[in-house]
Amino acid sequence: MLIRSLSLSIVIAVAATGCDKGPKTAANAAVPTATAATAAPGAATPAAAAASAGGQSFGAGVKLASATPIASVLADPKAFAGKTVRAEGLIVDVCPKRGCWFEMAGAAPGEKLRFKVVDGEMVFPVDAKGKYAVAEGVVSVTEMSMEDSVAYAKYQAEEKGTAFDPASVTAPITVVRLDGTGALIRDKQ
Amino acid sequence: MKWRKWFRILHRDVGYVAVALIIAYAVSGLAVNHIEDWNPNYTFAESRVDVGPLPPGEPAQLADAAIERLRLDRGSVRGHFLETTTELRVFLTDGQEARLDVTTGRGTLKTIARRPVLFQLNTLHLNNLKGAWTYVADLFAIALVFLAITGMTMMKGDRGLLGRGKWFVAAGLAVPVVFLVYLHG
Repeated sequence: MLIRSLSLSIVIAVAATGCDKGPKTAANAAVPTATAATAAPGAATPAAAAASAGGQSFGAGVKLASATPIASVLADPKAFAGKTVRAEGLIVDVCPKRGCWFEMAGAAPGEKLRFKVVDGEMVFPVDAKGKYAVAEGVVSVTEMSMEDSVAYAKYQAEEKGTAFDPASVTAPITVVRLDGTGALIRDKQ
Repeated sequence: MKWRKWFRILHRDVGYVAVALIIAYAVSGLAVNHIEDWNPNYTFAESRVDVGPLPPGEPAQLADAAIERLRLDRGSVRGHFLETTTELRVFLTDGQEARLDVTTGRGTLKTIARRPVLFQLNTLHLNNLKGAWTYVADLFAIALVFLAITGMTMMKGDRGLLGRGKWFVAAGLAVPVVFLVYLHG
């Protein structure tokens, strides 16, 4: 009898803790604000309420109130290296295998900033492409040799399933990215 | 002994509770084990499109023209982006995307679909849900340890752990140890 009661208790405990399994939303995440992505390059944009916009929170969330335009980071990455920034933009690509990174678009054609996390620490859904990201992380700048640049470009092509021509890499690549600590992904800006 | 009887009863009932997740995690484990060869969560498809050269204009105008010519539902459009000065990308719901060369109007329409069942199993197995599911997964892990320990006590005598059982346990332990020592040592 005692054993049966114990077994039943286990079932009830599992069922009860399984109820609250949805992803965190802005309402319960530590994300006080969001910003518009249309500010002039070089200027931190003013904060606006994010909670009303909803969204899915990842990692430690976003704590900084002001966003740094992607154009500013890309224009002078060394000035931001090692600093924690908040960046925002349309998600234009997501890691197709592990969901361990996404790229946010800046204002200019081709202007993108990658937000990278340790595999499994946060997993971004591939179908988040086209959604709007508010992301916070440490700016990382890596200057590669020509050999490493070719290997890097080849790996990127393989990951995206696109053709790769080594001749397309004509100069050493400098990789600028955000090493992510937290993010908020929502349907609209 | 009474403890063996209790272990058998608990092993049986905890096993009943855990069996769904054991199968779910095992199936997901097979799927994500081969992540280098396939995407265990999504399927991708691509079709070619040709809408003719788009009229010159700002990115928003180019996107408008592309949406109209592709006969896309405007409600399904999330945004657009110029990858280069001539390559326009229009993002649709569910991660779908139209990518066009604005000068020729040729391009691709990419669609993404979640793999039914596997997507959900992987979400549980990889704890993408976080939050309360973490505690459920912890309980499950504890249950597995319990099942492993009680499983070894099912039999006694020659067929028990102290009989031939110890050799099977040693063999099961040896496989990962050999891999760790000789392949990654």
